[in-house]
This record gives sequence, C-alpha cells and structure tokens, in this order.
Amino acid sequence: MAEHTTATTRVSVLGAGNWGTTVAHLIGQNGIPVTLWGRNEESCAEINEQRRNSRYLKGLELSEHITATTELAKAVEEAELLFLVIPSQAFRSVCADLGDLVRPNQLAVHATKGLELGTGRRMTEIIRAETCLRQIGVLSGPNIAREMCAGKPAGTVVASRFPRVIEVSREVLKSHQLRVYGNTDVVGVELGGTLKNIIAIAAGMATQMELGENAKSLLITRGLSEIARLGVALGADPMTFSGLAGIGDLMVTCASPLSRNHRVGAALARGMSLKEAVDSLGMVAEGVKAAKIAEQLTGELGLRAPLMHAVYRVLYDGLTPAEGLRELMTGAVQEDIDPSLTRAAATKKR
Amino acid sequence: MLTADEVAKVVSEVTGRIIERMSARAQRAGDLGAGADAPSLAELINETLWWELDRLKKADSDDEEARADKAFYASIRRELPRVSEAEQARLLERVVHRYANEIAGNFNPTFYKVATRVAPPMLSALLTGLSPRRLMGGQAIPSLDKHVIVEGDIANLARLREHGTLVVTPTHSSNLDSLILGFAIYHLGLPPLTYGAGLNLFRNPIIGKSMYNLGAYTVDRRKRDPLYKQTLKEYATVSLEFGQDNLFFPGGTRSRSGGVEDQLKKGLLGCSLAAYRNKLVHRRDRPKCFVVPCTISYPLVLEASTLIEDWLAEAGKSRYIIVDDEFSRWERWLDFLRGLFSLDLKIHLRFGKALDPFGNVVDGEGVSYDPKGRPIDPRGYLEVDGEVVADPVRDAEYTRALEGRIVDEFFRENLVHPTTVLAFACFELLYRNRRPRDLYRFLGSIGPEQSLAMPEVEDELDALLAELAELARADRLRLSPEVAAGDTRELIRAALRSFGTYHSRPVVQRKGVRLHIGDANLMFYYRNRLDGYGLRGAASLVHASNRGGLRG
Repeated sequence: MAEHTTATTRVSVLGAGNWGTTVAHLIGQNGIPVTLWGRNEESCAEINEQRRNSRYLKGLELSEHITATTELAKAVEEAELLFLVIPSQAFRSVCADLGDLVRPNQLAVHATKGLELGTGRRMTEIIRAETCLRQIGVLSGPNIAREMCAGKPAGTVVASRFPRVIEVSREVLKSHQLRVYGNTDVVGVELGGTLKNIIAIAAGMATQMELGENAKSLLITRGLSEIARLGVALGADPMTFSGLAGIGDLMVTCASPLSRNHRVGAALARGMSLKEAVDSLGMVAEGVKAAKIAEQLTGELGLRAPLMHAVYRVLYDGLTPAEGLRELMTGAVQEDIDPSLTRAAATKKR
Repeated sequence: MLTADEVAKVVSEVTGRIIERMSARAQRAGDLGAGADAPSLAELINETLWWELDRLKKADSDDEEARADKAFYASIRRELPRVSEAEQARLLERVVHRYANEIAGNFNPTFYKVATRVAPPMLSALLTGLSPRRLMGGQAIPSLDKHVIVEGDIANLARLREHGTLVVTPTHSSNLDSLILGFAIYHLGLPPLTYGAGLNLFRNPIIGKSMYNLGAYTVDRRKRDPLYKQTLKEYATVSLEFGQDNLFFPGGTRSRSGGVEDQLKKGLLGCSLAAYRNKLVHRRDRPKCFVVPCTISYPLVLEASTLIEDWLAEAGKSRYIIVDDEFSRWERWLDFLRGLFSLDLKIHLRFGKALDPFGNVVDGEGVSYDPKGRPIDPRGYLEVDGEVVADPVRDAEYTRALEGRIVDEFFRENLVHPTTVLAFACFELLYRNRRPRDLYRFLGSIGPEQSLAMPEVEDELDALLAELAELARADRLRLSPEVAAGDTRELIRAALRSFGTYHSRPVVQRKGVRLHIGDANLMFYYRNRLDGYGLRGAASLVHASNRGGLRG
C-alpha cells in the first residue's frame, strides 16, 4: 500500500541517534528505501551489516531498507525529503555543512525538540539562516522511540507552511501503527516540543518525591499554561498547545519514566548534581538546555513562568527540589485560564 | 514602455486568462456537485453585479462614467437569466474586458514619447517652484539633482535589466513619490516604469492630465469586486511578462502614521513570482523578475497633516482614498517647494539590495544567493519532480518571505533627517514623563503652551544620536549628513528651520531657552519614522512590534 504510492520518494534521515534511527526504521518498515547519515563509522557499519544500533536501540532489529552512511554528501544528494534529527546544540553546524549540499527543490523536516542556546533560535530558523531550503517543517508529538520501535500505535504531527511538505512526510511515515497529523503552526509545534521538556524534568522530580497523582496533574496543567503563554508571546497559535504536539507530548513526557528529561528530574530528586544526573543518562536531555533558554526568554518578555523558573533554579542555582516545591506552593495564585490566552485564541488569524 | 499594440495585447491576454481560470474552476465545481466551494459563472457575474451596483448607488448621478457603468451593468443583468452556460462565459468576458480596458486607460504612445522628454524638466520646474512661463522664457532650469539625492545600489539596476524585469518597490509617504522616482529612473538612464495609480491622481488638477502619459495605469479603489482586484493583479503580472518594468507601492497606500511600512500588500507583491513562474512554464526568454526595494525620505512631507489626522481618526483603518489633500492644492505645492528650495533641503531616494521573488538577494548578473552567499537556482523552489508547477499556498508563503525581506530593506535604507530626530526626542521626553495610557488623549493634551527646557532636549538628543550612530554603523539605518555629523545644536537649528517653513504652524518652535510644541500630531507623525527600532527603550507605537532587540 505505502510501497505503491511512495515508490519514487527518496528519503534521507540525518542523525543516527535514538530518534533518528527510529524515524529511519519507521520509514524503512513501510518498504521505502531510506539513507541514514551518522558521524560514527562503527555505528553505521553495525546498522548496515547487523541491522542493529546497539548504542541507542538495544535489541531492536532494524529495517533492511535502511542504508547507513557517514558521507553527508551521499545522503543529501539524491534525497527529495530530508529528516534532520540532530541535537539542538549541534544543529547549526550540521546545517552549515548542509548548506553546501542542498538545493531549492528539496524538502526538509526536522525532529529536534530544542532551541539554540545563546540565540534562542528555533530549528527552522536555523535551517533558513544557514541553507537555501525553504520548503521545511517540523515533526513532533508524543513519540517515545522504544514504543514506536515495538510497533505500538501512536500519533505524530508534521507542521509546515507548505502543504506539500506535510503530504510527502505523511506518505513516507504513515502506517497501521502511526497516524500523521498536519498543522500550519510551525512556531507552536516547535515550542510545544521544546518547552515540555522543562516540565518533564519537574515531573521526574515529583515522581521521585512521591507527590501523588493530583500533584502530577497540577504540574501538567500549570506547565501547559506556561508553555502556551510563552509560545503565544513568540508567535504561536494557542490552539496548537491543545493538540498532539502540545498537551499530547507533555502528557507522555510527564507520565513516562522512560523519557530522558523525566529521568534527569528523578536523578536530581535523588540528590544527584546536574552533572551526575546528565552523565548517568548517557544521552542529551534537551530540557536541561531548554530551561536556560526559557529563563532568558521569559525574562526578556516579562512573562510569568514560576514552574519553569523553579526548574531553572534547581538545575543552575543549587535550589533543592523540595525547596522549589515549597516556593511554588506558596506563590501567588492567578486565574485558572490565563486571559492572555483567551484573547489570543479569539484574535489569532493565521 | 509598451506600445499601444502591446497594451491591447496585454488587455486581451489578461481577459483570456481570467475567463479561462474562472471557467475551469466553475467546471471543476460543477463536476464535484454540491459542496464545492468555487462559484459558478452565473454566481460570479451576480457577485460583480452586487458589488458594482452597490458602488454605483453611492455614486454621483451626474457623473458620466457612473451613468455609463450603470447602463452597462443593467444590460448584463437583463441578459444573464436568459443565456446558456456558454453565453455566460461571454458575458463574464465582457465584464472582465471592460475592467482590463479601464485599467490600461487611454494610453497614447505618441504622447508618452513627448512626455518622457518634456516631463523631467517640467518636474524639475515644479519641484523647484518655477512657473512654466519662466521656464519658457529661456531661464536656466534649476537641476533637480540638487534636491533629490539618488543613492544606494544603483550600479546594479541597469545591469539587472539585461537579465530580467524590474519591480521597484518604494516606501510611500507622499504622492510626490512616483514623480520623484520617475525623475530618478530617467536620470539613471533607465527605461520608464509603469505603475498603478489611484483614480484620484488622474483627477488631480495639477498632474492628472499627465498621469497616463507618465506610464501609469488606473487603480479604482472604490471598486471592491474581487474580480476587479484579480484583473488588476493579472494586468501587473502580464505586463511584467511582456518585459515591462513595474513600480509597486507595496504598502498599498501612503503611510498614514509616517512610520516605515511593515505590512505589505502580498497580492500585488506575488505578481513578481507569478510572472516568473508563467515565463518558466512557457519557456520564455529573460524569465526572471527582480524586486528592488527603495526608500524615499523627506525632511518634510507635503501631505503630513492630512495623513496623520486620518491615522488618528481611524487608528490605522485608513480611509484609503483621500481626494482633497495638499496634493491637489497649488498653493501647498508652492509652499512646500519654496521651503525645500530656500532651505536647500534634500529628498533622499535610496535603492536597497535587489531580491528575487522569493526574497533571496541577487547580484548584478541576476544570480540569486542563499543567506550565506552561495549561488542558487531559484527555479527549484517551484519544481515538483523537475517540472515547474503552480501551487498558490506555496507561492503565498514565498511571497510572505519576500515581504519580510522588503521590510528589512525598508528599515535598513530608511534615511533619517534632523526633523525626525528632533520630533522623536521631544515626543520621547513628553511621553516618558507622563506614561500615558491613551495615546490619543495624550496628543490632544499637548498644546502650544507645552514646552521643554533646551538642556533637557539636548541631553536626550545626545543619547539618541549615540544610539542612531550605532544603528548606522551596524548597517540597520541611514543618517542624513546633518544627523551623521552628530552636532546636537546644529541639528536642532536645522530641524527648527525646516519645521518653521512649510507647515501652517511650526511643529516645534524655539522661544528663549525652551522649545514649544506647536503641533503635537505632526510631532508624532515625524517621530514615527523612527518607530520600531527600539530607540531609547521606546515601545513601538505604530508597528506591530519593535524590530530591534534580541529577537529582531
């Protein structure tokens, strides 16, 4: 079925980490040949020869339609559609290399949940600044790589201002286990996927501290409100945060002890330092950086974000999770539904 | 410039395309049956009838054109219920053809040739306040180049023309803009531009008669019919495809607030992309279109009073058509020109970086570059599987990017005169001290008794000039030589001289050691040219947001 309609689309996934390998695997399972680019020669050889990526996805047998390579040019040259799955802090340097290789007729979708440290730039902004690519978008949603690899059902969002980017991405990704939804609010989808990581760290702490389900729910809803407030101030459509890339992603990250940010939060609540917590994970936890960027942005924009602020102080100011909790519970109480969001929902046009 | 023959061809091409598009759309909708969103031909004609009859109801019954229009639409209305579907297409064709013909106007190439030769000296005479009689009396014609300074990326313009068609997109402060641009283009030795001018300009007692002959086509803003707007866009597109360089005012109308435009008309801007795409599809020569943003910066603006009143009255919802402003009054022109001439004031016209229809920078050879300066072939943006295809949603997105880049160039090439700087400083001092909640009431509360101590103004100006110099160094704004010199007292003197000359009340006036605000609205108007830069920590008052700061 999928094989028939997408036989001609040539796809490459750039980034052979946990999520990049998963995206390639999902596409490969649809019978579509996919090139996977990674920096590590051994990993690539392992993928090609043994159909495994033992560093990130232990025990999973990868699709035979994946061809791994360490040559960026080879991965980019033939591709009509590129998926960029690169950690946010390495994103610009890969895009700078990509700039020499891409052409205006190529489509690109990134699946990186983060903002650039220092500039606060979104990943699509970086693609625009470093390359000639215009037909671009973002893939985001409640997608735990392990569950997806295990063939469990899930939904995801591709956001782009270009309908064709959504169509072509959907064609290669959709399957009996994955529903692919479209959205035109690129800013909202990017921010939803990024900012929820901060809340997930708090959720990890709450779980470790055994605060209970009421507290978890309080955390998620107030967290979403902060995400939406900051998102709207940066140009997002408030409705996006009630979708898969907003509340959907936030719920899964806060509920699942498997998520990296959750694990960082739990480690902190066990009394580890930030460095120890990150080291014990062995992977990038985007929320750690996102907290720093959100702290800067909310400061500049003069927005209230007590939850994100508390996470920031636990991460960088030596506040203990228990002290952070106490501050949050004694802080001033505002309206349940922020009036600024109601207004934005009523006036948002595009 | 297009010949009369070519204009006729443009008109029939425009008509043909629109009928073809509408028929195809109606056909598709018919095939889909109920629930399709495209109108049938009969519905389209009825829509036009509704819009046009609504307009004509309000029209002056003595107006000859209105009477002719009424008769025309009455006949369409009579015939519509009786004709077959094929004949409906004929009726629609008559409507569109009539629109297209009216847009093309009664262009006369013989007149045009005379006009190109005679118009610039005439303009020169007008702008320097000389009467035509003295001109004929063998007096030397004062050269306009002393008062209009043309700068920026000029060298590329002539070269670019060899590689494609130009769309010049200036900021719009005054109806003088098109005359000044026409003059500049002539002086640069470039062939003239065609442009859409509001019908009110054609009826202007001063320049109305020469409008057609200056290469303008007509835009009747009273016509709200979407079909008319489509015809207009198609006219611009087809003329570009014929290789005729165009002038678009992308702000759509003169800036009412005095601020640099940050919201542009994307329908019109998109014509550059449509023309490029059509030429690629039909494999024509020189398919490229180049968009050249430019700014026209005045020390004083002829229509400032009317424009700012309109902005304040409607808070941005401009009346759109102002018929009886300063531009139609001889004595205001003369006062303005006399002021300009006697004070030796300069109007600066600056050309910014040329762009392709996607907003990429192009060089003099017409090659597009990506943001990091790598040459690229923009054709790829329109390709699917190697073929150029139409996709309105995609193209609208490209046009949005183009809009953003033009606005960047507007802000970058905006040139600041002493009048603007002084108005900004005075406004800022008053506004900051009072922190008003309501801008309108604040402006209303500033009477001539309102004054500022000279040292206070000088301190504010010192700080402002330092920030302006920094912006200019960062290539984000241009300064007139007087402002660039950075001498605060000299700047105040120059600004006060200008403010005292043309407007009926001096905008700002010195009395002893204090500066008095003579006209708060005009102070606000001139100040707005610096709105949106975040200078002196000021919030944006007439733009959606500041373009400066970290995230600008």
